[in-house]
Amino acid sequence: MRKRKIKNYIGLSISTISAFIGLFFLFWIIVSLIEKGFHYINWSVFTQNAVSPGDEGGGLKFAIFGQLEVVGLASLLGIPTGILGGIYLSEYGKDSFLSNIIRNVSDAMTSIPSIIIGIFVYALVVVPMGGFSVIAGSIALALLMIPIVISSIDNILKLVPNELREAAYALGAPKYIVIFKVVAKEAIVGIVSVILLAISRILGETAPLLFTSFNSNFESYKLNKPIATLTVTMYDYAMGPYDSWHHLAWAAAIILTFSVLLFNIASRLFSYWRFSR
Amino acid sequence: MSYFKSIFFATLFLVFSWFGNSYATNINGAGSTFAYPVYTKWAYEYEKATGNKVNYQGVGSGAGIQQVSQGVVAFGGTDMCLSEQELNKKNLLQFPSLVGGIVLVVNIPGLKDNQLKLSNAVVPKIFMGEIKYWNDPQIEKDNPGLRLPHIPITVVHRADGSGTNWNVTYWLSQISKAWNEKVHYGLSVNWPVGVGGKGNMGVSNYVKQIKGSIGYVEYAFWLQNHLTSVELQNKAGKWVIPSIAAFKEAAAKAQWAPQNGFCQSLAYQPGVNTWPIVSGTFVLIPKKPTLPHKEAAEFFKWGFAHGDKAAESLGYIPLPKNTKDKIIKYLNENKL
Repeated sequence: MRKRKIKNYIGLSISTISAFIGLFFLFWIIVSLIEKGFHYINWSVFTQNAVSPGDEGGGLKFAIFGQLEVVGLASLLGIPTGILGGIYLSEYGKDSFLSNIIRNVSDAMTSIPSIIIGIFVYALVVVPMGGFSVIAGSIALALLMIPIVISSIDNILKLVPNELREAAYALGAPKYIVIFKVVAKEAIVGIVSVILLAISRILGETAPLLFTSFNSNFESYKLNKPIATLTVTMYDYAMGPYDSWHHLAWAAAIILTFSVLLFNIASRLFSYWRFSR
Repeated sequence: MSYFKSIFFATLFLVFSWFGNSYATNINGAGSTFAYPVYTKWAYEYEKATGNKVNYQGVGSGAGIQQVSQGVVAFGGTDMCLSEQELNKKNLLQFPSLVGGIVLVVNIPGLKDNQLKLSNAVVPKIFMGEIKYWNDPQIEKDNPGLRLPHIPITVVHRADGSGTNWNVTYWLSQISKAWNEKVHYGLSVNWPVGVGGKGNMGVSNYVKQIKGSIGYVEYAFWLQNHLTSVELQNKAGKWVIPSIAAFKEAAAKAQWAPQNGFCQSLAYQPGVNTWPIVSGTFVLIPKKPTLPHKEAAEFFKWGFAHGDKAAESLGYIPLPKNTKDKIIKYLNENKL
């Protein structure tokens, strides 16, 4: 009896310590970011564009809006595709041979390093199009999103009790009505958090954008031209020789970290809000 | 129904207006990080003067060569010039645009800029790991009166393939037979000892952090990052300190000629006042007289005419007048 208790204590303390190690580093990153970068956040960061190298000042407006455009377009491409794919797997394909193949492939795709996706899109979109573009960057990010959304939606829809579907069928509802009015409605909390988490997953990506949406020194939002994004701009500025660039890189790091954090918290809050009703 | 139709056409219109082709031309370039600050500064001024936008990104010389060969960008930048055969194979034109210096930097407590002298015999031995401490008699011999501490030497080199690497290893191969045989030169080499930093910034950061370290960075990074430079020996055997004037000496000695795409290394040039590690940075443009390539050539012609001041303010050396004239003639002959 004593032996078991000791084992229990050891196991418990190890897992508690591990949890604290994880939290400790998250906390450390956030605190050191705020400590080193917060005083570089000011109004001009959000309202001004890049200035000539070596000159003081300038801001990140062009990169913030660029990031929004690329991520927004990627979400438009990736989320509907992923949700429809997830619906297929859980409602139509179920345990068929094809859907198991799709499941395995999409699980494998979630672990592909994002730089590989970037190179893939470079070869498949950028080279044939003859140039870097917003579209290429969005496709790369969408490819990162789709497998995540597919498998999460698949799992969430499976959690919806089968009795609900049967009840709807018994009332004479066709399958698409069952899926959209019954199954999706029941799983809406999960679906929304999947969407928010998928967006926050791609929000911080640099590697797939380096050779797809490239970067731009000018404010430009054209779909067939390169565009500046916060992540790539941060990477470039952090590696550059000028102090003013390093300050902007800190500001970009803070903006990125807090927007990712915000998306995560939003998805939590949403589910709490739904469940408490 | 007409309601849906009007929404549909409005969206279509929005999307197409989002695709860009306004009156001003927009071109992209990629490559050498070394040239990035100057090309970008030129681009901002060029836009003010002409309304045309030139978007250059420092992705590294290797990536620049690849992307311009694949036709993804209008021009590429590289610090290592391509040979005539390679240029013909890839159907590219090549010419230099600027010259810059590379500086050896150290982190030895109490040492100021250019106090330490490192001879051509000593530097390769340090980079090969044969001299291990800063108070080695071989180093002290050239530095009488300087009290060097007994701390181990840490070599910091570039971890990525880079034109700066090419120029430094080329210089080392020129001053040391042993280096030439064992390590040789290239965009990336097998460094016998040391730690690797990503980019000039990575090297600067390591040198700042590690006591007893030695590394190499481009002049602009030395200027901005408050690192300690050292005195070196040039081909004439004279001691020189890094300065714009000493880099200019090397640029003036260059025997650039259009026949081989102006390909020539500026490292280890003759002259009593010449700095030994100087590098040209080169532009690659596809040999097709179509709009983006013509526009790229226009941009550099503009830079040659109006960009000297901007280049000098950032710590780079503009090309001599006669070289610029040769390049403009070379471009005109190729209808660019």
